[in-house]
Amino acid sequence: MFKSLKSITLGAVAAVLMAGVAHADITVYTAGPQSLIDKMSEGFTKETGIKVNVFQATTGKVMARIEAEASNPVVDVLISASWDTATDFEKRGWLVKYSSPNAAKVPDFLKSDYAVAQGISALGIAWNTKSGTPKPSEWADLTKPEYKDMVNIPDPAQSGSSFELTAALAGQDDFKLFKDLQANGAIIAGANAEALNPVLQGAKAAVFGAVDYITLAAAKKGESVEVVFPASGTVIAPRPAMILNSSKNQDEAKKFIDYMLSDAGQKMVAAQMLMPARSDVAADRPLISDLKLLKFDNAAVYGKRKETLGEITKIFGGK
Amino acid sequence: MSAKSVGGPAPAAWLAIAGLLLVVAVPFAAVVMQSIFPELGQGSFAKPFSSFIATLNDGALIGMAGNTVLLGFCVVLASAVVAVPLGVFRALYRVPGAALFDVLLLVPFMIPPYIATLGWIMTLQPRGYLQQLLGFNLSPFLFSLAGMTMVMAFNTFPVVYFAVSRTVEAVGARYADVGRVFGATPARAFWRITLPLSAPGLAASLMLVFAAAIEEYGTPAALGRRAGFQVLVTGIDLRISDWPIDLPGASIMSLLLVGLSIVTFLGQRWILARRSYQTVNGKPTAKDKRPLGAMKWPVLTAFIIVSFLATGVPLLSILATAMSRTISGGLAFDNMSFDNFLQVFQNSAGALGALANSFSLGIGTALITGLIGVTAAYTVVKTKIRGRLAIDSLTIIPNALPGIVVAVGLILAWNMPWLPATPYNTPFILLLAYCCILLPQTMRYSTAAFQQIGDNLEAAARVFGASGITAFRRILLPLVFPSLASAMLLVFALASRELVASVVIAPVGMQTIATFIWRQFEQGSIGLGMAMAFIAILITTLLPLLLLALLRRSGLVAE
Repeated sequence: MFKSLKSITLGAVAAVLMAGVAHADITVYTAGPQSLIDKMSEGFTKETGIKVNVFQATTGKVMARIEAEASNPVVDVLISASWDTATDFEKRGWLVKYSSPNAAKVPDFLKSDYAVAQGISALGIAWNTKSGTPKPSEWADLTKPEYKDMVNIPDPAQSGSSFELTAALAGQDDFKLFKDLQANGAIIAGANAEALNPVLQGAKAAVFGAVDYITLAAAKKGESVEVVFPASGTVIAPRPAMILNSSKNQDEAKKFIDYMLSDAGQKMVAAQMLMPARSDVAADRPLISDLKLLKFDNAAVYGKRKETLGEITKIFGGK
Repeated sequence: MSAKSVGGPAPAAWLAIAGLLLVVAVPFAAVVMQSIFPELGQGSFAKPFSSFIATLNDGALIGMAGNTVLLGFCVVLASAVVAVPLGVFRALYRVPGAALFDVLLLVPFMIPPYIATLGWIMTLQPRGYLQQLLGFNLSPFLFSLAGMTMVMAFNTFPVVYFAVSRTVEAVGARYADVGRVFGATPARAFWRITLPLSAPGLAASLMLVFAAAIEEYGTPAALGRRAGFQVLVTGIDLRISDWPIDLPGASIMSLLLVGLSIVTFLGQRWILARRSYQTVNGKPTAKDKRPLGAMKWPVLTAFIIVSFLATGVPLLSILATAMSRTISGGLAFDNMSFDNFLQVFQNSAGALGALANSFSLGIGTALITGLIGVTAAYTVVKTKIRGRLAIDSLTIIPNALPGIVVAVGLILAWNMPWLPATPYNTPFILLLAYCCILLPQTMRYSTAAFQQIGDNLEAAARVFGASGITAFRRILLPLVFPSLASAMLLVFALASRELVASVVIAPVGMQTIATFIWRQFEQGSIGLGMAMAFIAILITTLLPLLLLALLRRSGLVAE
């Protein structure tokens, strides 16, 4: 036993030394899909020779890590799934001002002085085509008796875009839609993937406000599921990329942002079924110009976040 | 009874203390500091205690704490009801196919709870596998306290089953036979002699189950939220993953959980302190078991049903999902393929690297926790040095700290700018996290084993001139080794699938089995995630069995 312990220790020491040698040039924290960041860093390294170290998790987990690391930050580039992060970090003074030359074709509402979108997702109704229910076309359709007990809603407390959709729709009719949904047996069912899974198997017919690119990718793989964007409007979630001012590699980080917005980088975004941030890059899916967007006052909506979530919790009976 | 005269505790005690300080005290201190100083993450000690009032005033807190305790008790009760009878029959009678059942009842350990839960959901929800096969579903049952208790009990009851079958076996029928000779009925002999003497193992295992149940995240998150059943861990997770992040609030709620766990632990100590449970005293024990007789078929049926529910259902559900081309295609022959398994072996998304990472970490964790656990248990049980209770309590804390809080504590502790060298952002931080989370396993099993060893054995060795270290190595260690080895195998299995801490603390660019599966789920590739889960379960089950077989052949482990 002690002999093997010794060899383990030796191996461990060797591993540490190796880790020291393989020091990467920039560190990217991302809430985006793993395969996207993998391809993007591979392409970036090939083009610039700069290595990329990646940490990928949900927005919440990425933020928890950044918060805990705050006294000694590690991250150079952060890609969040919620624009709210960019606004908040800018307010805290944590970001570097940068406008990439490649951002010229990114519409103004998808960039600021401190952040620029990598890609955009939208929310829609994910509907199982074999569920035996009629195809919904509007949010309100899901309150009809055909969808009794067949609707999942992603938890607005766990997803920024779900929260924006909830707040925007609730603001239109003072939560009536959500009360009707609850009366029709709809339930709040965890984060995005958790809400979609039962719809794939057919336990539920539809997700009210599903993240579109995951559903579109599932459909591409042959799942009998479709995304419907209601004509009355929906919300989009631009995924902001930003450079932290604690970064010691800001020049390399800027090059990464440039690459992300290059033709090659934006095509990788489109291949994930996300909308590219640049308006001149094509994608095999509905784009922002094809969608009607719900109008809401961002600042006011986030100002009342706690109240809105509290009301939703009250309606859906959580404790 | 005194072991002071036996002497020689120093090396073991110092090793245990040093290990515990590094592995447990450092992250725990960071969590306590964080709860007191809300801006610790920015390196500031401003506004001490300011978070306490806001956190403790939260009206939902009492409900969550109540739910946590309720769920813990339900799981303990259900585990005991399932495991104790099976364990007793396994220990005292010749159960046909006992070795096979041991393996089958070992598998639930190896199934990560969140995977088992997802397996149950995909089986019992409307249009799930049960409905596809038999035409009905059990969705209302699954998404309730009862459903949650069932899923969690089937995941944890093996802890009790193995503890009971081992300790009852060690107690043996011999003591009960003495009772029988003096006129006790078999039932009376069992209740008054065998069961009380097996109490250390039983109490330790039930306590582990309780601690595991109140600390478990995956199942309450997936099933409880829909039943409106929020527990402390899901509340803590929400505070950490909901922007703005509330690390101080999460830390304070974790301290509540730790408090709960310490109370359980003190209760267990109180029960055990009332008498001696020493049954291993160097006298030969007869290992012959009785035939079941007329009870053969009922007992066998019980074993088969429990094995099927605990192992068969989740495994089949995982396999069915892993083999489905599309989830919406269901259980149709033309929807079945091995594509997902092929993808794992073709190293898609770094699958093979994740397997290698997790298994190396699992082995490292098992060795380190084994060493610290056995020395700490020895120090606590067999020596009289001061501060024993502190050492014992220190090994309880991680039981109740949610994985995500351990992760945050480790980041706070090891990412301080003035540290000259740090394990943070290297694989070692994962090793530290796993050792912290899993140390209670080896510690509790070794403690129970030491409690059953009479002091006279060590004393005899010392009388014949052995040094303290020699007596420990040649007499005590071999006697506790079977318990220690099974605890280390358990640690290996648990470490190689740990999710909650790994997701937050994994060094950049490093994947483990659990983070790989989790990312596949997040991106909607449920089949690929399940294929990985199935392979991991297979390896974590077969590897320890192989190891045990080798150890047995070399005579290190009896039986």
